[in-house]
Amino acid sequence: MKITIEAVEKRYGDVVALAGPSFEIPTGSTFGVLGTNGAGKTTLFELLVGHDVPDAGDITLGGLHAADAGPKLRQQVGYLPEQVGFPPLLSGREVLTVHARARQLGPERDDRVAEVLETVGLTEAADRKIAGYSNGMRGRLGLAAALLAEPPVLVLDEPTAGLDPRGVETFHRLIERVSTETNATVVVSSHVLSEVERLCDSVAILHEGTLCAAGSVDELAMETDVQSNITLRPVDDAAERLWDVLGKYGSVNEQGDRLVLTCPGERLLELLGELANADVDGIEVSEPGLDTAFHAAIDDTVDGSSGVADV
Amino acid sequence: MTGDPRPDGGVTTIVEAPVEQGRLANVADIRTIAGIEYRLAVRNRWALALTAVFAAFALGLITFSGASVGPDGFDRIVASLAVLAVYLVPLGALAFGYDAIVGAEDNGWLQALFALPIRRWRVAIGTYLGRAIALVAAIAIGFGIAGGMLIAEFGLAEWSTYTVFMLGAIALGLSFLAIALVLSSLAREKTHALGGALVVWAWFVLVHDLLALGVIAAFRLSDAAVAALVLSNPAGVFRILVLGMLGAGGDAGFATVMSAAGLSYPVLVAAMIAWIVIPLIVAGVLIQRRRL
Repeated sequence: MKITIEAVEKRYGDVVALAGPSFEIPTGSTFGVLGTNGAGKTTLFELLVGHDVPDAGDITLGGLHAADAGPKLRQQVGYLPEQVGFPPLLSGREVLTVHARARQLGPERDDRVAEVLETVGLTEAADRKIAGYSNGMRGRLGLAAALLAEPPVLVLDEPTAGLDPRGVETFHRLIERVSTETNATVVVSSHVLSEVERLCDSVAILHEGTLCAAGSVDELAMETDVQSNITLRPVDDAAERLWDVLGKYGSVNEQGDRLVLTCPGERLLELLGELANADVDGIEVSEPGLDTAFHAAIDDTVDGSSGVADV
Repeated sequence: MTGDPRPDGGVTTIVEAPVEQGRLANVADIRTIAGIEYRLAVRNRWALALTAVFAAFALGLITFSGASVGPDGFDRIVASLAVLAVYLVPLGALAFGYDAIVGAEDNGWLQALFALPIRRWRVAIGTYLGRAIALVAAIAIGFGIAGGMLIAEFGLAEWSTYTVFMLGAIALGLSFLAIALVLSSLAREKTHALGGALVVWAWFVLVHDLLALGVIAAFRLSDAAVAALVLSNPAGVFRILVLGMLGAGGDAGFATVMSAAGLSYPVLVAAMIAWIVIPLIVAGVLIQRRRL
C-alpha cells in the first residue's frame, strides 16, 4: 500500500510540529523516518493513522485519506505507538485476543494469536500476567499486536526503544522477515541510525518539522558533500608515484606505511579505475554512510544552505 | 480475511477484512471493551472492595439503628440507608471511575486501544459499561445483603420500597460513574482527575443542596426555578425520589420543596436517566478530541 505525504502542516499553539514535508513511501518498502528530538516524527505517525488531522496538506494510504478514514484506515494499519502499554493484570494472550476481536479476525482468531505469540517468542509467557513481563517482552507484545492482523501497512514508532540487545536483534529479524516474505509497507522511526541503515530501503530525514532529505540510503550518502576515505599500502618504492596520482583527487596523508586519501565521493569510481593497475598492496574504502548523510542533511537545513529536499 | 497466514507465524499478506458496519460493529466493539474493563475491575479487586464497603456500612447501619419492628421502623431504616447512600455511592463511583481514561493513557493502554479500528466513543462507552456492571453488582450485593436481613426481620410486605431504594442507588452510582468518565476524559493527569472527582463529590453531596436551600429561603423562586435546582443535582434527585416515596418529605428538607415544585416521579426518573446519558455523551465527545 503506497503512502503519499503531501505538504503536511501541523501546529500546536506556537509550536510548528510539521512544516509541509512531502514524500512518498512505495508499496512494499521498509521506510525509515529519522530526525532529531522534536523533529515531528511522532506527529507524522499520528497523522498517518488518523489520530490527528493536519492543518494543511494531505496524507493518503492506498487511496484512503488519513484525516477522515477513521477505523477503515486503522483496519489497514498495524500501529505500534511509542508509548504503548498494557494493563498489568491482563495476560499477553488476553491482550492479543482483544486486538483480534477489534480487528474482526474470524474463527481463526485463536490460532492466529498463538502464531503471532510464537513469532515474537512469547508462547511460554502467553498466559502470564503482563505485570511480570520485562520491558523487552512488553515491546514484543506490542509488535505482536501490530502484526496480528497481517496489515498491509505497519507503522512502528521507535519500536526498539528500551529493548535489550537480544530483543533488538529479534525485532530486526522480524522486520526483515516482513520485508522479504510480504508486500507490507513498513514505516519505522528510530534514533539508531545503524538500525535504520540495516532495515530500511529508503529514509526521510526530518528536522523541526521540515524535510531535510529523502531517498534511498545509498543515494543520500552519495548526495552528501562529505568525503570518502581511501587507505592504500604502496608496494616498495611506488609511494612517490602514488602521491602524484592521488594528489589529483584530494588531500593525501602518510600514516606509517599507508597513504590515506580524502576525496569527494563522486570521484571514487574514477580513482579506483586509475588505481586498477597501480602498485598497491591493498585498498580500503570508507564511504559515508547514513550517519554521515543524516548529519550533513541536518547541518544543511540548519545552515539554510539547502531548502526542502527534492524528492 | 483473505490472508494466508503461514504456519510459522510469518506475515504474508493482507487481508481485505470485511469491516463490520453500523450497529453490529458498535455492539461488538463496545462488548469487547466492556468485557475487558469488567475483567480488570474484578481482578484489581475494585468490585470486591466496593461490595465490602457498601455491605459493611449498610449492615452497620441496620444493626445499630435500633428501629422498632413495623412499617415505620422499616421506613426509617430505609431512609437512613438512603442518606448513607447519598454520601457513599457517589464517592465509590467517582473513586472507581476517575482513572478510567486518564489512567489507561498513563499505562499506554489507551494508545493501544486507539490504534485499533474502533471509534473512540465506543472505547468510552465500552469502558463505562464494563465498570458500570461491576459497580451495579457491588451496589446490588452490598445493599442487597442488608435488604435480605431487613426482609427477614420485617417480612416481604415492604420489599417494593427497598427495591425502589436499590434501583435509585444504582442509578445514583451510574450517574456519578458517568461524571467520573467525563473528568477522566478531560484530565491530562490522574491527580487532576482525582482532584476533580473530590470537588464534584463535595459540590453535589455537601454544598449544592445547602446552597439551594439557602437560595430558596432567601428569595421567592418560581416553581420552575425550584424544580431546576432540584434536578441539577443527581444526589438531590435520588434523595427526593427515595425519601419522597417513604413519605419523609416533612422533615427531609428538599423533599418538602418537591411537592410544592410539582416534581413527579416520572420527571425525577427522567432526570436521573439524563444524568447518566448526558455525561456519557460529553465523555464521548471529549475522548474524540483527546490528543494523546
